[in-house]
Amino acid sequence: MVFLPWFHDTTIPVNCQTYSVGLDRRADMEYNQCGKFVIYYSILNTSGGPMERSGISRRRFLVLMAAGAAVAAGAPLLKSVLPTATSERPKARYALVIDTGKCTGCGACIEACHLRNGLPEGVSYIYRIVKGNNRKPWFLMVQCQHCANPPCATVCPTNATYRREDGVVLIEERLCVGCRYCMPACPYQARVFDEERGVADKCWLCLPWVLGGGLPACVEACIPGARFFGRADDPDSEVAQLIASGQAKPLRPEFGTEPSILFYVMEEE
Amino acid sequence: MQTAWGWLPAIYLFLGGTSVGALLVAAAFEFSGKRYQYNFCPTSLVGATVSGPLIILGALVLIFKLGAGLREPWRIFYMFTHFSSVMTWGVWIITFFITISLVYGFLEVMDTFPAAWDWLRARRWLRKAKFLWNLPIRRTKRLFAGVGLVLAVGVAAEQGSLISAVGPAIPFWSTRVLPFIPVPMMPVLFLVSALSAGLGLTVDLAATLAVGPMEQRVKSLPWIQMALIGVQTLLLGMLLITALVDGGSAAQSALEIIVGTYAVVFWVLIVFPGLLFPFIVYACAAGLGRHSLVSRVGSGVGIVVASLFLRYLILASGIYAAL
Repeated sequence: MVFLPWFHDTTIPVNCQTYSVGLDRRADMEYNQCGKFVIYYSILNTSGGPMERSGISRRRFLVLMAAGAAVAAGAPLLKSVLPTATSERPKARYALVIDTGKCTGCGACIEACHLRNGLPEGVSYIYRIVKGNNRKPWFLMVQCQHCANPPCATVCPTNATYRREDGVVLIEERLCVGCRYCMPACPYQARVFDEERGVADKCWLCLPWVLGGGLPACVEACIPGARFFGRADDPDSEVAQLIASGQAKPLRPEFGTEPSILFYVMEEE
Repeated sequence: MQTAWGWLPAIYLFLGGTSVGALLVAAAFEFSGKRYQYNFCPTSLVGATVSGPLIILGALVLIFKLGAGLREPWRIFYMFTHFSSVMTWGVWIITFFITISLVYGFLEVMDTFPAAWDWLRARRWLRKAKFLWNLPIRRTKRLFAGVGLVLAVGVAAEQGSLISAVGPAIPFWSTRVLPFIPVPMMPVLFLVSALSAGLGLTVDLAATLAVGPMEQRVKSLPWIQMALIGVQTLLLGMLLITALVDGGSAAQSALEIIVGTYAVVFWVLIVFPGLLFPFIVYACAAGLGRHSLVSRVGSGVGIVVASLFLRYLILASGIYAAL
């Protein structure tokens, strides 16, 4: 893990463009599961869409400086005239809805997760539970439920597991001591232990891809289209509408974990 | 079945529990005055001196289990930082307990062998430490024994709370004392089991091998041990019955223990050597006033072995709540 304190709130070139970045307090940079160095450069970009350009030429910089000086001079006057502005951008709140009526249990999500995260043979962040009866089975694909009250984060002795404001539960790998306390504490059995790295690993909702405007691997790979991912706080999003319909329910709500992953569950016959 | 934790955490819980029990017995002998009844008290000596090393060994065993334990050992210090975790409380309590038990063990050795204390004080590098000259060893030892007593109860209760804090994921671990009493059973069971293992180690093994039958020195000892076995049996029975009443995966765990996969471990390695056999030995000792060295040492070994398997059994038989 490399820690670069001067890297906060600066600009970095990505794909020949210069982007404004403000890095997350803790999960700013790390080696991802593939061993590649990942920078969560788009943390400022909490709107969830593609990032805005903020490349600044010298001329634009001078214009901005002049404008800034004018605003600074006029600010007290404006402040007395205008009401206090609330300029905070809405925080994203991600959710994943899985339609168990559509899910065929094909395991494409398991394979995609395995490949994208470069996991060892036979390991995936997703596993399958077969429900129903022999005549009419249905499938429950279980992964980290990204709980609002994550028991794994409560029991973690090093504070390595934490929940971001957007609802994604992450592991700060440099803090994880590998005690495995989170493994029996997770009622969804979503933790897998990575012997190579010595940490208790789990689904991270492919966060760098999501923050860059993409989708989690399991959602991209789902062949029957049973997985719906998006922002629960955006009333226009498909996920928000599915949640508003009241048919998407969390897995075992009596655990009190308030998951971000919801299921359309068929009634057992 | 819970497979994340295997043998090493069970061994840690066993070594920690035995360490706690040994210190509790030593402190009980200290405060009851039995320690000073004879010139040489092997129970207090062994109890106080093995307590620190045993829990240090347990902590080292646990470090081997930690993913970053040998790779990046400095991460262990992060474990002191997150107070919502029972493990963080445990790390703090054990740190204090190790310190206190080591000092208590040292003072007990110095009290038992005054010549060693005199030799130590005469060393050149200690001569300048004048407070040692008039240090009241017994009073200081009592102070450490008292603090150690409180911390020992804390360590045993923390070990039980560690697994009962897992909550809804593994309902068997958070089984209550009785269905209508909202107190988790595990801390209570671990404390009583620790005390039993401590007595087995210090009295049945160490003291018997050192000075012979202990009930001639302490008349009430067989009765205390029988009472302790009775309480432990009662608690185990209540745990299994409450789990069966609760239903679901807790009942599955209880059935696995009584008649399922772990029935052999439970009946052959816990109930017989740890409860039944020692009870018969102590009953004979209390009733007939004597029993052989072999049966006494056998009961001591049985109690200690049963204490290890009890912890393994509880960890291994935890079944996740069905999804």
